[in-house]
Parts: sequence; structure tokens; C-alpha cells
Amino acid sequence: MLQEANEPTSGNDAREAVVQCRRLTKVYKKLLSSRAKAVRALNEVSLSVRPGQIVGLIGPNGAGKSTLLNLIAGLIFPTNGDVTVCGHPARSIQARQSLGYMPEHPVFLGGYSARATLRYHGALLGLSRATIADQVDKSVQRLQLQEFIDRPCADFSQGMKQRLALGVAMLNEPQLLLLDEPSNGLDPVGIIQLRDLLKQLQDTGAAVVISSHRLGELEKLTGDYMFMHHGQIITFGDNAMARRAGQLLVGLESNGPRLAETLLPASKVLEASETELALAVDDPAEVPDIVTKLAEGGARITQVVLQHENIEETFLRLCDEGRQ
Amino acid sequence: MRAYELLRETLWRRRYIWIVHVVWLALYVMFWWLYYPDPEEFGGVLFLSGGFLLPLALSAGIIGDDIASGRICVVLTRPLRPGTLFVYRLLGLSLQGAIHFLLGGIVILVLHVVTRKGSTEGLAFWLFLSWLLFNTWAALSTSSSVLLKRSHNSLLLLVAFVTIGGVLHILIWNLRNYAIGDVLKGILRYGFPPDGLLRDLGNGEFEEKNVTLAGLDLPRALVYTVHSLLLTVVYALPGILIFRKKQFLSERD
Repeated sequence: MLQEANEPTSGNDAREAVVQCRRLTKVYKKLLSSRAKAVRALNEVSLSVRPGQIVGLIGPNGAGKSTLLNLIAGLIFPTNGDVTVCGHPARSIQARQSLGYMPEHPVFLGGYSARATLRYHGALLGLSRATIADQVDKSVQRLQLQEFIDRPCADFSQGMKQRLALGVAMLNEPQLLLLDEPSNGLDPVGIIQLRDLLKQLQDTGAAVVISSHRLGELEKLTGDYMFMHHGQIITFGDNAMARRAGQLLVGLESNGPRLAETLLPASKVLEASETELALAVDDPAEVPDIVTKLAEGGARITQVVLQHENIEETFLRLCDEGRQ
Repeated sequence: MRAYELLRETLWRRRYIWIVHVVWLALYVMFWWLYYPDPEEFGGVLFLSGGFLLPLALSAGIIGDDIASGRICVVLTRPLRPGTLFVYRLLGLSLQGAIHFLLGGIVILVLHVVTRKGSTEGLAFWLFLSWLLFNTWAALSTSSSVLLKRSHNSLLLLVAFVTIGGVLHILIWNLRNYAIGDVLKGILRYGFPPDGLLRDLGNGEFEEKNVTLAGLDLPRALVYTVHSLLLTVVYALPGILIFRKKQFLSERD
């Protein structure tokens, strides 16, 4: 379960969680530069990701998504707070044994083939020769790398690189998979395969954290979103929570502005014309109350339409709220 | 398996590394073929080309390339300590150097047997000394590669060596009548990569002159060999320490 920013988590959660961040702060400061020029990329972020959960990390550029991924991957040190992966401090050998990481722009040795690259990473994981061979075969099958498995990586297209990077990240069947823009350069078939693979991985109890700007794709992959802005988690949770906000359009015969003014709180009224009211609703459960209130106040309602936000609209709304 | 892959990587990380090895070996052959040098002359060439320039060419961007491209971010999410990665990169270079000098020795011996010209006296010793020098420069270059992106480490070392070495020589010459001159001379001779020390050893200048250390009478060749190996470790240590504490940002959004 994702927990609210700045909210400390219980010890029990810490044991169960695949990722546990406590009051995580990261400030980037260049050597010898003044404190005023320091950038606070993350500000006291606390979260917990449980086994089998796929979390979509969204937010505008500079929100702190990649910083959070890098901290979980143990590539950078937190300024304050701590991160654990499967109960071990990030950057520890034990944490890295449970981790698969795919960067936004994967880079491989140009002279190595895809097979040699997978073998190299298998060796770094400490797998035996036989296990590596087995894992390479598995990766070839599930990512359909047959066509280019023995070609040098220098000749790979972006899509091929992404597939191979995914194979590398999933080589040890990790308990935690961190993906930064995984569908970059993938063709539609590759995206569908990615989705299937992540669902399979989820079924094995692994947790996946995906940072992506492709909201439509993300929507098909996961129901859990974490929206970040200015280094903080603004909202979190499943589809319903992230997309709870919607617009209620109420068709009237007449007197729209007067009814809105007398019967509804000003904060709820988005637009009011003679024959239509556009009202903000945080929860669909509010709709019957609003309609009843309007009817009891004398409104002659002709139509009621509840419009839900899609993920893009939610994203834009949260960005606006964040800016304000 | 891990050790094999990490060592192999140092040879395959750039395509030109094979070319460098072949070109350097060809240089030895050409020099031999054209001049039939005596052991001292050939030792000098081995020192300059194999002991000094070759490690700089082979270690250009040995860690900086991975940092600049972001590849290091995936490698270091594996259960592998940064220090271990550093040591394997250095060992890979050292192994390449050992095989390079072994091959060089074999080629020269074959040439000598075929042409019956030149002298191979002390060749094995010169090759060994060149390898010791190779290791010190490789360690310095690998350490600097942690700080400098891409291939700048080798170029910077070359410039630094010429500049600092030149300044020190001028200072030593001008201060030759003062105690500080001797101190600077000691720093240049024992703190810097042991080019001069090993060349003197190869030239046989210290034969029958043992060194007394902690009451032990030790052969000078052994002392200088240990000194070179210790310098290699000392040059590698800052790189390991910095690499352990370094942060690697794959992409800042």
C-alpha cells in the first residue's frame, strides 16, 4: 500500500514492504556552490510498496521521479531519511540481489551481442554458468530476442535496446523491478508484451515501480499511481483515488445561476448558465445529494451527466493544483 | 564466472583496444627489424611505448566512459561493490599488459631466431620491468578515470606528467645545493611512477648493491619490484575510495 507523504510507517510494514522510504530528502548541491543554488529534488517523501504491486510514478519534469528511482536503486545517497529494499538498506549487496533496474536510455557495450550482454549481467548476479544459460534462453523466449540475440548491440534500434534492457533487468527474476520509461521506442507488439510480462511478474509477487510520461500506456499497466510534484507525493492510490475527481453536468430548464448561488457552495460551481450547471465532484457518491438538493430547491432538471477524468486530465489538473 | 566477465569486459569495452595491442606489437617488431637494438635500447623503447604510453591508451575512459554513458547505473545495481568493479578493471588492464609483453617477447624471440641478429639478453627482465611500470600508470589512469568523463583521464595524465615532471626537474636543478633539492629528488624518484628506477634496474646499475631495510639485506631488484607494486596499490586507493562514495544519476527529470 502506498502511504501518505510525510507519514511515518510502522515497523510491521517495513518488514513486509518491498520498498520502504522514510522521510526521504535529496538535495543536489554542487561542490563549492552556495546553499541558495542547491536544488531540493525530494522533500521528506515516505512510501511503502508491497509485494505484487505495480506503481506508476507520474509527474511533470523536475518532479523528482527519477531521483526517487535512483535512490531506491542505491545509485545516489539521500540527504536525509532512508530507503530499504526487501528490508535491506538500498545500495547494500542484499538489496541489489533483489533488484532489477532499467534506465530510460539503456547503454550496452557496442561490441557485445545481446547474448553476451545477458551473460555478463548473469555473471555479475553471481549465477552459475548453467543458470545463466537457462536464464538467457528464458529471456530470449519471453522478450522474443531470437532475431538479434547474436548481433552486436552497436547495431540495435531503440526498441531492441529497450527489450534487451528489460531482459537484463528481469534476469534474476527480481523482487523489485524499477523501470524508467520502459515503453520508449517499443512498437505496439513490444508494448503489449511488456504489459503481459509485468503482469506475469506481478503474479510471482514481485513489485514494479514504473516512471513514465506515457499515461495512456501506464493506465493499461497499473491501477496504482503516485503523482509527484516539486519533490513531494501529491496524491497516490488506485484508479478510483487518482481519478475520483470529475465533473457533473446538470441540465436545467432555467435559472441556472440563481440555483447555483443559493443551493450550492461556490467552490463546487465551475460554470453556471441558464440551462446548464457544471459542478466539481470529488466522489461519485456526492451526486445523489447534489441532485436532491437542486430538486428540493425548485430546479427542473432535464439531464444529469457525470463526466470522469481520464488519467491525462487528472495529470493536468494535479499539475495545475501543484503550480497553485 | 563473474571474474572472467569483468576481466573480459576490459578488453572488449572499446573496439580500438585490439588495434592498439596489434599496433604496439608491430612497433616493437619494426624497431627490432630496422635497428637490431642492444638490450638497453630495446628496454628504453619498451618502457616508453609499452610501460608508459600503452597503459594510457588502453585505460582511456576505463570507468569514465561508463559514467558518461550511464551504463554504470545498471552495472552498479548488481550485487557488486564499486571497489570490486574498480579492482577488476585494473586487474583486467594488468592482465592485458602481461599478455601483451609475453606476446611481444615471443615475437622478438622468433625474430631473433629467424634473423640471427640483435641480442635477447635480459629481454625477459626488461619485459617484466615494463609490466611493472605499466601497472603503475594503469592504476593512476584508472583512478583519474573515476573523476574525469570519457577519455580525458589519459590525456590529463600525459599533460600532468610532462608539466609536473618538468617543473620538478627545474626545481631540483636550481635547488641542487639545498636540502630541499634532495627531498624533491626523493619525491620524484620514489613517489612518482618508477620509470627511472626501473630503467636503472634494467640497465644493471644496481647489480651487487643490496638494500638494507629493517636490518634485512635485500636484493635491490626485489625491493624495487615491491616498491612498484606498492605504488600501484597507492595510486589505485584514491580511485577506489572516491568510486565507493560517488553518486551516479542515471537521468534527472
